[in-house]
Amino acid sequence: MEKTYTERIQIHKTNKLAGLYPSVKLLVVVLYTVCTFVLGTVHFTRVDLSLLLIPWFLVIPILCASSGALGKCVKALKAVALIALIILLVQTFLVPGGEVLVRFGFLRICEKGLKTAVSLSFMIMNIAGIFVWLFQTTENKEIARALEESGMNYKAAYVFTSTLQMIDILSENSKTIMNAQKARGVETEGNMIVRAKAFFPSLVPLILGAVIGSEERVLTLEARGFSIQGEKTHLFNLEKSGAEKTAAAAAVMITILIIAGRIALWVL
Amino acid sequence: MGAVIECKNVTYSYPLAKEPAIKDLSLEIERGKFYGVVGENGSGKTTFCALLRGFAPSFYKGELKGEVLVEGKKTTDYGGELSAKIGYVFQNPFTQISGVKDTVFEEVAYGLENFGIPAEEIERRVVEVMQMTDIEALAMKSPFDLSGGQMQRVALASVIVLEPDILIIDEPTSQLDPEGTESVFAIIKTLKEKQKTIILVEHKIDLIAEYADEVLVFKDGQVIAAGDKRKILSDMSLLEKGASLPQVAVLGSMLKERGLPLSEIPVTEKQAIEVIARALEERKKQ
Repeated sequence: MEKTYTERIQIHKTNKLAGLYPSVKLLVVVLYTVCTFVLGTVHFTRVDLSLLLIPWFLVIPILCASSGALGKCVKALKAVALIALIILLVQTFLVPGGEVLVRFGFLRICEKGLKTAVSLSFMIMNIAGIFVWLFQTTENKEIARALEESGMNYKAAYVFTSTLQMIDILSENSKTIMNAQKARGVETEGNMIVRAKAFFPSLVPLILGAVIGSEERVLTLEARGFSIQGEKTHLFNLEKSGAEKTAAAAAVMITILIIAGRIALWVL
Repeated sequence: MGAVIECKNVTYSYPLAKEPAIKDLSLEIERGKFYGVVGENGSGKTTFCALLRGFAPSFYKGELKGEVLVEGKKTTDYGGELSAKIGYVFQNPFTQISGVKDTVFEEVAYGLENFGIPAEEIERRVVEVMQMTDIEALAMKSPFDLSGGQMQRVALASVIVLEPDILIIDEPTSQLDPEGTESVFAIIKTLKEKQKTIILVEHKIDLIAEYADEVLVFKDGQVIAAGDKRKILSDMSLLEKGASLPQVAVLGSMLKERGLPLSEIPVTEKQAIEVIARALEERKKQ
């Protein structure tokens, strides 16, 4: 028998990890972030580097691979890694303070710079990485539905979901505006100064267009009974993968172990 | 047929505006009729629609004098329930997508979800409307991946699915190509056959002549002519007031001036063929 449209819009995931209920995934994200901060306080070597953050980051590719989303995650992780690398280099070579560890001509690596660089860049890699896992294995509508089910106001849930959708739309609009400005003779390619000059002629129509569009969108929503009071129907329903309790328990256990280990290191 | 909407001495000014956008407007919209709203840009057509739907002053704020009544109740006294009575379609197809739904099916169903309609009924009604608006083939596509014409049909479907008795459609084809325009008007024609009360703002006067029962001509925030389309669209004095009239009406008027005995000034192509043929036959007999 042919499926109804309501059946076709449901999301069925065979992978237990990818199919975790969004609130459980969020719990994993929060606990992973807590663990990252705790591990960041463990310092090794003479200059107190937060080296544990490096092996801790391995959890991310393992989690992505186990969720069957490594391919999708790697693309996003590459962008995060690039930002982290820039921060690592800038912090390492430019932040002064403490003993000078190495000197390459006019460049020098100071104790404080190296310490901040390792800590900050791997902190970013870890926290951004866990969010990459969350967003690559969870669709926007799953998050929105979970937020509503958790008691969040439907208006706030709308703002959250539409914001995620709007990123793509604004990106498309900005390309159209750039092309239009090019056609009018605005230079959009070249060195930094040329690009900076093209920034305002492109940004102003983009923002104004978004503001004008949002007014009509508000009225469109109003015309579709958005503000009507009473129980709403949800055609899309969340499914549980069955591994929620195990995943939550494992995340809590690991967090407790890490915190306990950190306390033990302090005491000892 | 009784009045479903009444405007009583309505004057409305937008916030910070020096001049009112609508001046001392009094008229009645009858149930089941198709009203074509025409006039120059800035003549008050869209403001008129916003007043009927209650967007002005509840959303736009500003100052409203007089009363706009929908089924005897002031629009300002309605809450969100007015969306069940009056459907509203805007001119820009790109801003009429909710922005939170992944498929056309969900987009069309969105209003019904807000009204708390049971899921089985939503499925049935959405499928029915998608078939009527010829978008069923797009049901599982993202609303953002559609052309302007397709998006406008989705916007229309999203409003029609709520089964409102009154539909306000503000320049639905202004950003569409001829093919898109044709498909949108095919839907409007079906709605007319279903005896819906339709208020359509449209610059394409030939289409108004084709579909409307009555025409309202706006100028400077006032209705300068209102009534049966044949009477209004054949009134050549409106040309001097900046209104546009169907080409066949202008042609008919010129032929009559040159002595062709036309029984009436035609406003549609079909009517023009009949009237001119009859006049030519009469001339032959003479």
